[in-house]
Amino acid sequence: MNITDIESHALMILQFLSIYLLLFVVMLILRAGKIYKSRELFFSSVMMTLQLILAGMILTYLFQNPHPLFCLAYLILMISLATRRILAKAPALPKPFLFRVALVFIAAALFVSAYFILIVARENLFNPQYLIPITGMLTGNAMTGFNIALKTLHDQLKTNADQISCMTMLGVHPKKILHPFINNALETALIPTINSMVSMGIIILPGMLTGQILAGALPNTAILYQVSITIAICVTVALSVYLGLHLGQYTLYGRNLQIRL
Amino acid sequence: MKNTLFSLRNIRVRGGLAYPDTDIYAHRLTVVTGKSGCGKSTMLALLNGTLDPEQGTVSYKGKDIRKTAPLELRHEIILVPQKIWLFPASIEENFREFYRLLERPQPNAQTIRSMLEKLGIDKAPDTACTELSGGERHRVYLSVCLSLKPEVLLLDEPTAALDHENARKLAELLKQYSEKQSIVMVCHDQSLFEYADEHIHLEKQQLSAKDFS
Repeated sequence: MNITDIESHALMILQFLSIYLLLFVVMLILRAGKIYKSRELFFSSVMMTLQLILAGMILTYLFQNPHPLFCLAYLILMISLATRRILAKAPALPKPFLFRVALVFIAAALFVSAYFILIVARENLFNPQYLIPITGMLTGNAMTGFNIALKTLHDQLKTNADQISCMTMLGVHPKKILHPFINNALETALIPTINSMVSMGIIILPGMLTGQILAGALPNTAILYQVSITIAICVTVALSVYLGLHLGQYTLYGRNLQIRL
Repeated sequence: MKNTLFSLRNIRVRGGLAYPDTDIYAHRLTVVTGKSGCGKSTMLALLNGTLDPEQGTVSYKGKDIRKTAPLELRHEIILVPQKIWLFPASIEENFREFYRLLERPQPNAQTIRSMLEKLGIDKAPDTACTELSGGERHRVYLSVCLSLKPEVLLLDEPTAALDHENARKLAELLKQYSEKQSIVMVCHDQSLFEYADEHIHLEKQQLSAKDFS
């Protein structure tokens, strides 16, 4: 890299850094609404930047030195952090419930990633250029889906405690009592994914598509990948949240069929 | 001749509540009284199998209730809590929904009307439950439970949301029911004690951790 290259690189970084100025708008909005989340916003931005810089460095190394073990190590790190975040956001739910959620989350993300790479992209499963970004997108979206689903379920169990205890005392099976709450949590978790599918292309250009076009890919190629990844995201969210909630519900009551709230 | 229906022996529950050994008899209207926090509602939950004792045994017809299938037990011994819940639908739809959830054959219109009449609810079955007063909602839920013909009905302060006249009517009705079914009722209204066949007065017995042996 010569001096001109370094100068232009530095200029590019400076240009990109100017995007952070827009975060002040968010801070002003939070302040106007007396929502005291400015500190959280600041730390989130710093964390995001540092994590992405680190990810960029690791990915560059991985692409230059592709090895299945490196890919696996990266996957384990990514999935472990996502799982930890899901579990940390729902501390009130019983541990066995969260254990099942974690297992289903990992299985669904890995299964859909493998399907995407082997069947759709027809690439080597351990090609880091495919495995890491695709699994990353799927785990990220499934994590958001689980966060919404578990919060909805927990809130509903709390606010409908009278309904639950009334039906339990009447002798209704807990599975039937929990059914509407499980369904509601699943539906709420799927809303962002389905909404984004409906408005994609005309109302919004998704991040991945925009990123590919900005990086120089042909729009048609970018669109093919976007359609595939959007469907893969929808399947991962639906499959993981559905299985996680349905398998997890059995841990909400014991052999004596008393629902633990 | 009194037939023992429930026996409570050496009962301790989580939180340190203890109960004296007690027998409750079949085909009686048993009233349970005591100060707030002495464990009246908890006792009903123990009898209905929706709460397990930390220590001791609750027997129903001579058998430890933990050895009975929980749903069968709750179908036989229905507990009507103080805070009842109804579907945001009509009275008739509530009957149908509860029957569907319990996998019972649907009740006919005549059964629903006659139950409402018995409970003194002068509303049409298609009336939305959201339009009913607290006392009426409670009686609608009670009518659903009575129509399911449980062997035992456990009632947690069923007259709390009722005026004196309706409370007396309900007590009279429960007295009639107690000839065929058994009724255990938590009640604070002393004027209704005259309807009771048995009276259990609970004193608060708070135990420390070392008493749980």
